[in-house]
Formats: sequence, C-alpha cells, structure tokens
Amino acid sequence: MKAVITSIVVAIILVVIFSLPALAQDSDAITITMTGVNDISISLDKTQWPLGEVAADTEYMTSPQIEWCTLTVEGNCNVNTFILGEDAEWIDNPSAYKWTLSNDGTNGENVYGLQFRISGDTTRGYVPVTKTEGEFWPYGGGSSLAPGDTKQFGLKLLTPTYFVGGRQMQTQITISAVAA
Amino acid sequence: MIRRIKLAGLIAALLVILLPSFTLAQDVNFSVSPAEVHIDNLPPGEAAEFELTIHNKEKLAHNFTIATFQPPEEDRREGRAEFPDDSWISFPSQEIEVASNSEANVTVTVAIPREQQWAGGDWEIWLGVAAESSDLLAVKLYVRLLVSTTGTKFNAGLVAGIIVGIVLLGCGGYYYFRRKTRPE
Repeated sequence: MKAVITSIVVAIILVVIFSLPALAQDSDAITITMTGVNDISISLDKTQWPLGEVAADTEYMTSPQIEWCTLTVEGNCNVNTFILGEDAEWIDNPSAYKWTLSNDGTNGENVYGLQFRISGDTTRGYVPVTKTEGEFWPYGGGSSLAPGDTKQFGLKLLTPTYFVGGRQMQTQITISAVAA
Repeated sequence: MIRRIKLAGLIAALLVILLPSFTLAQDVNFSVSPAEVHIDNLPPGEAAEFELTIHNKEKLAHNFTIATFQPPEEDRREGRAEFPDDSWISFPSQEIEVASNSEANVTVTVAIPREQQWAGGDWEIWLGVAAESSDLLAVKLYVRLLVSTTGTKFNAGLVAGIIVGIVLLGCGGYYYFRRKTRPE
C-alpha cells in the first residue's frame, strides 16, 4: 500500500514539474509596441473633376488622360495603396435618387462605370473602381511605394445608359494607404 | 411632330450635372502616427490603451473621422487572423476636429472579453483616419493594429497528456517499489 501511495505522489510531482512551462504561459506582462516613429501620409495634387453637364451613355476622361493627378508618399514609411468608389447620389436628396457604381466599369440604366489608369502601368490598363477596396499600387505582389515616390493616374467615367436629367450628382473616390 | 418634341425633351432630360461642391473643404494634407501598433500578451478580460496622433498640415481646421476596418486576408500580416469583433475597439469619439497646423491625440482602447475562447489569439484590424471632404477624391490613412492575447484555450491534449503521464509513472513507480521490496 505504501508503494502505491509513494508511486502516485512521485508521478504527480514529476508530471506537474514537466507541465509547468506550458501552464505558465499566461503570466507575461502586457506590452504595447508602436513601430518606431513611423508617420503615414499620402497626398493628391488634385481632388476635383468638374465635369459640368454630361450626356447619357458617354465616356469622359480626365485631361491629361493618365497623368491628371499625382499621388505622393509624404510619410516616412513604405505604403500599399488602395482605391474605393461609391454610388453617385443626388445632392438635393441623396436617399431619393442615385446612380449605382458598377463592379466592372460598364454601365446600365442608372448604373455608371468608373475606371482608373496609372501612368506607366501597361499591364493592367484601365482598372474598374468598385465599392470594394481594390489595389491601386502595388498590384499582384509588386513593390510598395517608398517615401517620396509618386504615381500619376487618370480617371474614366461612363455615364448610365439612362438617368433622370437635371439632377446634380455627387460621388467620392477614396484612395487609402497602409504601412507595407 | 409630337415624337420630335418628346425626343428633344428626352435628350434635354439626359443632361445632368456631375460636379462636386466647391464651397466645402479642398484636399487635406495630413498624417497619422504611429503607422503600426502591436499589443502583445493581452489577457482576456483586460484592456489596453494607446494614442494615435493626427497631424493636420493645412492652414484650416478640419474634422477627421476614425473607424475600424477589417482588411482582407491577403493584406494582413502573415499569421494574423481577422479581429473577432470591432466593438472591442473604442474611441472617445468617432470624429475629432484638429486645428490648423496642429496635432491631436486620440486614445484608442482595446478590450478583450473575459471568455477563455479569446485566449491565444493573433489578430489584425486597421484603424482608418479620413478628413471630411466633399471633393471627388479623398484620402484615408490606415493604422495597422496587431493584437495578441495570452493564455491557452482549454487544451485537451495537454490535460490528456498529464493524466496519461500520471498513470504511466504511477504504474512504473508501483512496479519498481514492489520489485525493490520483494525478498530475494
């Protein structure tokens, strides 16, 4: 009987000793690390494209076509950039009337297409701007943008095949950046 | 004649104005720091705080909005999973006004619920800062927030291993002592 008790006690002690490192993982201190003094920033030299009156089912391009706007990396960290579009809304009553942004650059009734093209990007050409954030630069696993880098780009708008006239519409394209 | 009038009316109706408002703010030059924040060893049931700095580099005051964003898997750091719940991250306000050529700090709080299912997590979420603008083109800057929680979830393998270890060592020890005490 004494042998049984001694064996069990020794076994428990041995197992607890060997399992302590695994059980002790909960006791680390909380650490908050800010990555250096990294400052993220990008700028655009143009933010408006005043088109005036537009006709149905017609393509409009910025001028110059693909060097219309310049994006510059201003911060001190490398960045990946993205582009996001949205529906165009009637300024007077946004909830009453809108043009839906298509997801492939095409148009339809009250549906408009929007595309962008980056100067020097011969692989992709014009790329649709959609309501889901898409790659602006880099794309397909390319190199990110470094501080001081610039990218020139232009936009192409395809108006709906049919829309209610005489209404002032407004939309927004968001270009975003995150540390690479 | 009526058809022609209808056609002319239709063409006129197809004209629309697509231009942004010129009365509101123009492009805003701003920066956010830090660009990346790591919170490690945060136990379930506890919270951590840090500060984001928004630097308005313009000559006018501007309003900035702050919101969380779940990045797609391909844009997250390697080994990071989607942050389980945006509501665990809070700011004093989702909107902040920053004076011209000034900086403002925003305190961000990350609070993990007490449940043990959130132990041992490695997650990533982005905090997006944007200047309010009605221009066609707008800029948004994201801060990467990487959160790791401490502790281990209920580890059935570890518990089973401990039980098997006790049984095997117990049996081994029992036979060892029995043989040792047996008379020659």
